[in-house]
Amino acid sequence: MIDKLSKKDIRAIKIGAIAAVIIAVLMFGSKLHGRWKKAKTKGSELYAKLDAIDVDQIKQAGLMSIVPVIEMPKIEGEQKFLFRDKLSEQLKRAGIRNKPLQVQAGRKSPQAGYKLLLVKCNATCRFSQVLDLLARLNENPYLVGIEELKIKCDPKKKGQVDLDQVDLDLVVSTFAI
Amino acid sequence: MNNDKINAEIRQSIVAIVKDDNKLKGIELQNQDGSLEILWTRSGESTDADWREFVAECGLSVEPAAPADTDSDRMVVVGFNSAGTIFHRTNVPDVGAKEIESIIKLQAETRLPLSPDQMEMAWRADHLQDGQVGVIMAVARKEQLQKFVDNVRPFEPTKILLSCEGIVKVWGAFFSGNKETAVVLSTGTHDTQVCLVENGRLSNAVVLDIGVDDFSTDGTVEQNETTERFAQDMSSVLELFGCSNQAELPVFVLSDGSAAYVSIVSSLRLAGLNARVALPDVNGLMAKSELSVEDIYEYRVPIGLALMAFDETTDELNIFKNLYNPSEKEVKKHWLHSPKVTCAIASVMLVLLAIVTFAVDVTGPKAIEKRLEASVSDTDMNQLVKRQQLIKTVARERPDLLDILKLVNESGERGITLTNLYFKKGQPVSISGQVTSNDQLSRFEKNLQDNKGIEKVNYTANMNAKSKRITFTMTFHYKNFTKKATRTRG
Repeated sequence: MIDKLSKKDIRAIKIGAIAAVIIAVLMFGSKLHGRWKKAKTKGSELYAKLDAIDVDQIKQAGLMSIVPVIEMPKIEGEQKFLFRDKLSEQLKRAGIRNKPLQVQAGRKSPQAGYKLLLVKCNATCRFSQVLDLLARLNENPYLVGIEELKIKCDPKKKGQVDLDQVDLDLVVSTFAI
Repeated sequence: MNNDKINAEIRQSIVAIVKDDNKLKGIELQNQDGSLEILWTRSGESTDADWREFVAECGLSVEPAAPADTDSDRMVVVGFNSAGTIFHRTNVPDVGAKEIESIIKLQAETRLPLSPDQMEMAWRADHLQDGQVGVIMAVARKEQLQKFVDNVRPFEPTKILLSCEGIVKVWGAFFSGNKETAVVLSTGTHDTQVCLVENGRLSNAVVLDIGVDDFSTDGTVEQNETTERFAQDMSSVLELFGCSNQAELPVFVLSDGSAAYVSIVSSLRLAGLNARVALPDVNGLMAKSELSVEDIYEYRVPIGLALMAFDETTDELNIFKNLYNPSEKEVKKHWLHSPKVTCAIASVMLVLLAIVTFAVDVTGPKAIEKRLEASVSDTDMNQLVKRQQLIKTVARERPDLLDILKLVNESGERGITLTNLYFKKGQPVSISGQVTSNDQLSRFEKNLQDNKGIEKVNYTANMNAKSKRITFTMTFHYKNFTKKATRTRG
């Protein structure tokens, strides 16, 4: 039967076959390409997540030394009380008799996308108590950081200062949703 | 031309095989620095000698797939007996080769009782006279040629030459053939090849069915008849050749010196032809064993063919050009050097690469997801990510105030009294106090400046006239926490 076909017929059949292959390749190829693209996007998202979690051990240790404990931020009302209570507890533990803590709404943190709440603390205490408080502040799981700190003591005669009575103004921050 | 090529040419030898007088005859002729030497001669005993058998006896490979005999530079040529070939001379206008060919084809078709697809033709133009080109054409039945090609193809000869051209060549080389125009007779046992030679080349040819055996019959009456018939045939042939002056045209009868050839010449002379005997010149050829006149005569056709093969300028009549193309001795290249193969491999590799990449991209995340699903849920995963991000953010937002106090304390000498410390993010740290001397203050500034993480230490100082102490205020930057524009801290 093939012998009966002319050269033109054979050429037409060849072109037809090539066209059919191209159509099939394009059909399946576009589907596969779509699937591939989707898989790649999903994959890159997943790898980004893994990168976020999988931190180098030394780096993680460094991070843990700065942030030993942390609680995920809660809604503003709840977060405000939790943070204030924990801070009060820490002040009390340090033996600092503070004036009532004042909560201020701060700016929105551009990095984390959380609201920044500020708590202001004024007190008169010993310098050692200040050091004690600063040393333990990192144990507050709601603390973000110290925004402001003012330590003032009056000079005595002959170049001496009274370290038993220092004025402390402290502003600390926490994140809230 | 480089030395290697010259050496190759010097060492070249030709094996020529031909079926002559119903016997297969073969020789190997070597050209050594211009002198010719016959290395061996061989002839088939049987009249029905098989080509393959004979060729094998000559030491040639009869397997087409056998590796090429490249070491010896040996070329094989075979001769085609011209008995079945019709030669014809014609004159055509002096036009281009293509036009001449089409004219000749037309002439051949009209003159010969064969259709174009049944015959094969070769032609050669020679002298030009009065705007007309003389052409010799050789025509043979395709079937007959094909049969011959099938016989010789197994040992892949380089050329298939016409025996009559070999006769002309050998006459010119070893039978003192120095005439510009002559008729050469090569007489076999039962037939005679008559060749018209013009300018040293075959110009026309005919085979007569009278041979040496016919002249050697015992009866006088029979001999006379043969002589007469031969003379008549020769006259007809010369007429066919267009030779007007038959008495003057030299007719050379190739001979081995035996009496039979003398009687042939005599008969021709009696018929008024200018016939003479042509004996071979033994001195022109060397051989391993002693070479006689008879030997050269016996192998005159293969010798002639070998001489033709040596002479690369010979424009032989190749009647087999459409039927036999000797396969080129291809240098076998490594398959990797083939562009087709390498392209195919590259394409396959590309496809494989695409498949593997696709598979990795699709299955990789799936596998990770599966493992993660087995250990942590999707929600946990997101929480873990958020928590980690929070830790990083907090770490950047958390200055170590104790570190500042420690650095300040370590940088100051005994005698320095600090009264105030003020830290606020985005502002320089400010400390104030009292010192006893400016030197003490300078050293304090320098020591503070030397600490890692502390930059741009500045101070202002005033002398307190009452206490005679210097009060100062010093500012400095601590890491990135006190710099305004910087968002990333720590």
